[in-house]
Amino acid sequence: MRALPGKASRQPAGPQPVSRTGAAADQRRRILEATADLVADHGYQGTKIETIVRRAKVGYATFYKNFDDKQQAYLTLLDTAYELTARRVQQAYDREDEWPDQVAAGLGALFEQIGEHPNVARACLVEALTAGPEAVARHEATLKRFVPLLKPGRKLNPRRAELPDTLEDTLTGGVLWVINQRLIAGEAEALRALLPETIEFVLRPYVGEDRAAHEAQLAASS
Amino acid sequence: MAEEELGPLPAGRHGFSREQVAHNQRERLIAGLATAVAEHGYNAVTLTHITKAAAVSRRVFYENFESKEACFLAAFDVVVEHIRELVAEAVGAAPDWPHRAIAAAREVLAFLASEPDLARLCLVESQSAGPAVAARFHDAVRELVPPLERGRGERAAERPLPATTEDSTIGALVSLASRKVAAGEAARLADLLPDFTEFILSPYLGPAEAERLARQTA
Repeated sequence: MRALPGKASRQPAGPQPVSRTGAAADQRRRILEATADLVADHGYQGTKIETIVRRAKVGYATFYKNFDDKQQAYLTLLDTAYELTARRVQQAYDREDEWPDQVAAGLGALFEQIGEHPNVARACLVEALTAGPEAVARHEATLKRFVPLLKPGRKLNPRRAELPDTLEDTLTGGVLWVINQRLIAGEAEALRALLPETIEFVLRPYVGEDRAAHEAQLAASS
Repeated sequence: MAEEELGPLPAGRHGFSREQVAHNQRERLIAGLATAVAEHGYNAVTLTHITKAAAVSRRVFYENFESKEACFLAAFDVVVEHIRELVAEAVGAAPDWPHRAIAAAREVLAFLASEPDLARLCLVESQSAGPAVAARFHDAVRELVPPLERGRGERAAERPLPATTEDSTIGALVSLASRKVAAGEAARLADLLPDFTEFILSPYLGPAEAERLARQTA
């Protein structure tokens, strides 16, 4: 699974037929990748178009052919990465039948995606809150997409009428916290080891601690 | 407190010692940073913004702080220390562990709701203010782990909770609060006390008792 659509790598050297649209998509992808790397390292405000074009190895004209400004490039990065990640989580979730397994599979897919693309994740999760109101709104809207995946768990809880309205938002926040702390520490690879406990944390309020611990054990042994 | 609007120091003979003036200038710079960051965001804020809001010169800034980051760190520490004092006082008056946890949550939420600019500085801007601030933020949040862990003594079940329970629980609440603040909804944070209470207490007291205590806070 890739972080961004487009060609997987730069075209190898040497004569070969490259379609114009393929080359254009490749340039666009390189700009977005460079934006992700730079925002991950320097924050949104500390990233300049000058360094984006240098890192992406494209000219200013190419940048402005694709994007109006830095903000539009960054928001495109957010939209693309959020969409790919949400889709990957949804696919993993949909492959399972039982709700606790669906949540475990979805979290597993999320942690894998982030472990594979830590810079994109850092740029889109940690830095989004300081990149202006539109980025904040997209970040929030993306987190809200996970709420309907958790809500069906309420049916499994005999005390469902008493569960707080904010439960899903809070749990989403907890997962985000675990992820962000590891991204800030530069230890995205450590997320894998935290998966069982994170599964237990998310499931416990719905299915009780025994069943949640059981699902965590399944995840730990798989 | 750092958020207070401060007028310029009166010129000439004001009866303050050199140390008092220096201390005052440092506080004004911290307050100036909080004001400037609330307006521009940490990354876009300049020394000019800060010194203008503090009504002091650049020279005075550099006598007190070596960089914008150092000044932010000082502001962050002032706010965290203030919250720490509020929490310590409230917790000291509570009769048992569940009520200590509730008192701490109530104080933090009430403070953040009443000081939206400082809430933003601590919860949102701190995330993009460089590694030293990020580490300080993490340490401040981690301070809440040991008092919460004492709740494990309240548990009826024999099986221990996962080691990261407290970290995830606090992180969930910090993260939710940060999102509310980033969305400009800091003023409504105090309304979340019942939900926070239930979420915090549930792993330790069980869902039914947690919900009962949460209801009492509403």
